Amino acid sequence: MSTDSLTAGKSTRRKTSRAAKPGPQSPDGTLRRRKGLSERNRPLWMLIPGGLLMIVIIVVPLLLGIFMSGLDLDQYSLRQWVSAPFIGVQNFVEALTASPLLHAIWLSVSYSLLAMVVTIPLGIAGAVATQNAFKGRALIRSIFLIPYVLPSFVVATVWRTMFQPGSVIDSMLHSVGIDAGLWLNGPQSYWTLILVQIWASWPFVYLLALSGLQSVDHEVHEASALDGALWWNKLRYVVFPYLKGPLSLAFLIGMLHHINNFTLPFVLFGVPAPSDVELLPILTYVTSFQSFRFGLSAAMAFISLILIAIPLFIYLRAVKLDDAETPGGKK
Amino acid sequence: MSTATTAAGRRPSEDFRPGSKRQHEVTRLMPGPMLAIILTVLCALVLIPVAYIFLASVNSDIGVARGEFFPSSFSFENYSTIWSSVGLATGLANSVLVAGSTAVVSALMSIATAYVLVRYQFRGRLTILRALLGLQSVPGTLMVLPVFVLFSSSATYLGIQVIGTQWGLFLTYLTFAMPFSTWVMVTYLRGLPRELEEAARIDGASNMGVLLRIILPLSWPGVVVSGIFAFLLGWNDVLFASVMTRPESQTAAVALQVFGASQEGGAIPFYGQMMAASLVCAAPVVILYLIFQRYLVGGLTAGGVK
Repeated sequence: MSTDSLTAGKSTRRKTSRAAKPGPQSPDGTLRRRKGLSERNRPLWMLIPGGLLMIVIIVVPLLLGIFMSGLDLDQYSLRQWVSAPFIGVQNFVEALTASPLLHAIWLSVSYSLLAMVVTIPLGIAGAVATQNAFKGRALIRSIFLIPYVLPSFVVATVWRTMFQPGSVIDSMLHSVGIDAGLWLNGPQSYWTLILVQIWASWPFVYLLALSGLQSVDHEVHEASALDGALWWNKLRYVVFPYLKGPLSLAFLIGMLHHINNFTLPFVLFGVPAPSDVELLPILTYVTSFQSFRFGLSAAMAFISLILIAIPLFIYLRAVKLDDAETPGGKK
Repeated sequence: MSTATTAAGRRPSEDFRPGSKRQHEVTRLMPGPMLAIILTVLCALVLIPVAYIFLASVNSDIGVARGEFFPSSFSFENYSTIWSSVGLATGLANSVLVAGSTAVVSALMSIATAYVLVRYQFRGRLTILRALLGLQSVPGTLMVLPVFVLFSSSATYLGIQVIGTQWGLFLTYLTFAMPFSTWVMVTYLRGLPRELEEAARIDGASNMGVLLRIILPLSWPGVVVSGIFAFLLGWNDVLFASVMTRPESQTAAVALQVFGASQEGGAIPFYGQMMAASLVCAAPVVILYLIFQRYLVGGLTAGGVK
């Protein structure tokens, strides 16, 4: 990941010197000749503003963060961080052995997975139910998008209010004879988090599933109608295979979002969070801005980058970067 | 608002014989009762909490604390107090300023970047495309500390105060919005025919001329989508804003979060005000979505799938 952005930065800089070498990606002559006009006078300088911004605000801080993970930084040495004592891998050792980091990784990964496991069937159900035209479908599709549209901090504030002891959820459960206990503290807070995350993110799966359903050819519908397939069999054997691509994509992106999600747990539980929901982003944040162990926090952030890199790598391999007709269009 | 097909894009099954009952039978995925159950459950799942936000915002704080769903007493007073008590007036002004300028600048920058990436061939092109996708997933918690240190160093070494001003937030949001905005524009520009540009070039248009006179007018739906996503990023962020702002430069998101956290312990929290403020913070976003729904949904799935 970091190397990726690095090379991007480097190549942006390289381009400014207008090394007008023909790209190795387009060896076939016909394609080249057609674009002969645009080959000469390429406005590569247009990449400079964006490239510069990304180098200054993403690449430099990324390197800075990696450097800081080797420093003994606290609130006193932060002002003069350049001259802070370099302590090598000690921060990493501490993060892995003497801090709740491993617990946080476990919480983050398991919560992301559990939330995905529920959002995927919900998303599919929503997509299948709104695929065929009926009166009021547009309205229902808009309604389905609401949780996705609401800002995370609003979602978290609202659920936080609803989950307060004695508040609306408790009183509803009480009226059917269930006494659920504390939602925002103690072991149950983990399930609260999953519940809210599911509520907030199933429309994303729904959207991608819908785009998958739209790729089902009409002939396929006709064929299965001719065969007299039952609706369940048709869904299971004919339609669902079309969803495999969009859904694996939804899975990967969803996992990345969940693992990186800071706002939802932060606003839902506040900091310091109960230890049952001390997720990776929360722990990193608290270590920085509550206990002021900046070096340790940088080490934690670096470890979380490695964790993120796994789904990200799969995602980047799977994604088609180019169309067939654009230059260099062979993946 | 929008017709049935908009959110979905083009559906071939409907293009054939629109409204034909036979056709409907063929493409149907599920028996009617089953469909009704699913729709009811999902709509209830979504709408009950949403309705609760409104109902609680006009309820009394004691009523909310007691767990009422339907308020026993109505009052719209909360909507007038939140502007000063939560600090929503300054918060919203800052949010609009920061997120709005982020949206405009990021849309303009991303169309230029995407234009070069789509139309020209050069070394490192694929690397940049891949980096644009990868950078979307860089965890914010990883970046917040180094960016903070970088910005505070600029005060120490260059004498430019960035922390605590809207500039710091603007620069940060702009940078983090760029990868996705550019990717949305890349997928959009790919769909534009080359012929118009080529004609313009034969007429002697420069690169800048082609971009401003041909590409920009043709791709405004894409520009709107990438601008809105940049806006949402700035509007929804809590992490950077909570670290890099002072009370006077706070965004609405931080104002609400701080207000919520300060209600802990002590007397009954101002639930009504919290809900009213939530609704006010959510309203611009929801309205934007409803207006541009057809473009946004397309942009989102294109940004993700392709």
